[in-house]
Amino acid sequence: MRPCLLLPLLLLAAAVTPVAGQSTVTGIRDLNFGIVIRGVQTTVAPGDPIRSGRFYARHLLNRPVQLRFTLPTTLARVGGGGTLPISFGANDAIAQGTAGNSVPTTFNPNSPRTFVLRTSADFYVNLGGRVSPAAGQATGAYRGTVTLTCTFF
Amino acid sequence: MRIVTRASAVVAALFSLTTAAQAQSANIQALATVYQPISITGTRDLDFGTVFPGVAKSIGVAAATSGQFQLGGQASGNVNLTFTLPTDLVFGANNLPIGTWTGCTSATNTTAGCAAFTPSGTATGSAFSGAGALWVFVGATVTPAAAQAAGNYTGTVTLTAAYF
Repeated sequence: MRPCLLLPLLLLAAAVTPVAGQSTVTGIRDLNFGIVIRGVQTTVAPGDPIRSGRFYARHLLNRPVQLRFTLPTTLARVGGGGTLPISFGANDAIAQGTAGNSVPTTFNPNSPRTFVLRTSADFYVNLGGRVSPAAGQATGAYRGTVTLTCTFF
Repeated sequence: MRIVTRASAVVAALFSLTTAAQAQSANIQALATVYQPISITGTRDLDFGTVFPGVAKSIGVAAATSGQFQLGGQASGNVNLTFTLPTDLVFGANNLPIGTWTGCTSATNTTAGCAAFTPSGTATGSAFSGAGALWVFVGATVTPAAAQAAGNYTGTVTLTAAYF
């Protein structure tokens, strides 16, 4: 009796298991503040079509995916010699499916957020933020790494 | 009942097992380039001196009375220059037309070898020198009418600079 119950359950389980490679996340655009002036805080909105950071992810329809950012608190001066504070606010991330009827969802990138993919199996995640150069900030190029980890269920 | 319970437990265990989280990560870069602030100082007025009714007078960029701005900024930084220019100089209720604007940018405080441009409300691209310096010279032409009222006519030329 038990083997008879288990077989269909195993088949069901196999049917809903994500196939390796089916669920992916890719970084497709850097979060680029461009030129910022010493002593002047500069913000990039998550909806900025040019400067916001952007990821693309794909999973399975009607399945949950957890988004978790690993965010820097400073950018490092290229070549050394200083750091530039960077911060992310409660509304600095937007997730939106690629379907025409997908509604963008704003969320806090500082905390993990789980979505269930209702309208499309793939989606974009945009990221904004702000840098706060000090009045005596060393001039030059700064950079840091933003990581988005998607946990696909 | 016991069988159902066991079956449910098996289902839960299987779902948990088969839906084991698959985590993937991707990176992007956060980028910024810090520049020093731009400073602008109007260092010399564009002065036509005495003009006569009915006689147009031009001041070239190389003239001793051309307008002059001194800018400081990021070494070798690209900068857009945008002007707000009067169409008339004003003396009370009287207007004195001004136009045919000319401009020149230089890395030094001289017009020798400077780069000519036409000042306007449309941005003109330029760049700071390797020392972060830039001078802008401005000339124009006033056209007094034959019946132009005598008086001291003035107007304001505003230069706005922004990195690009």
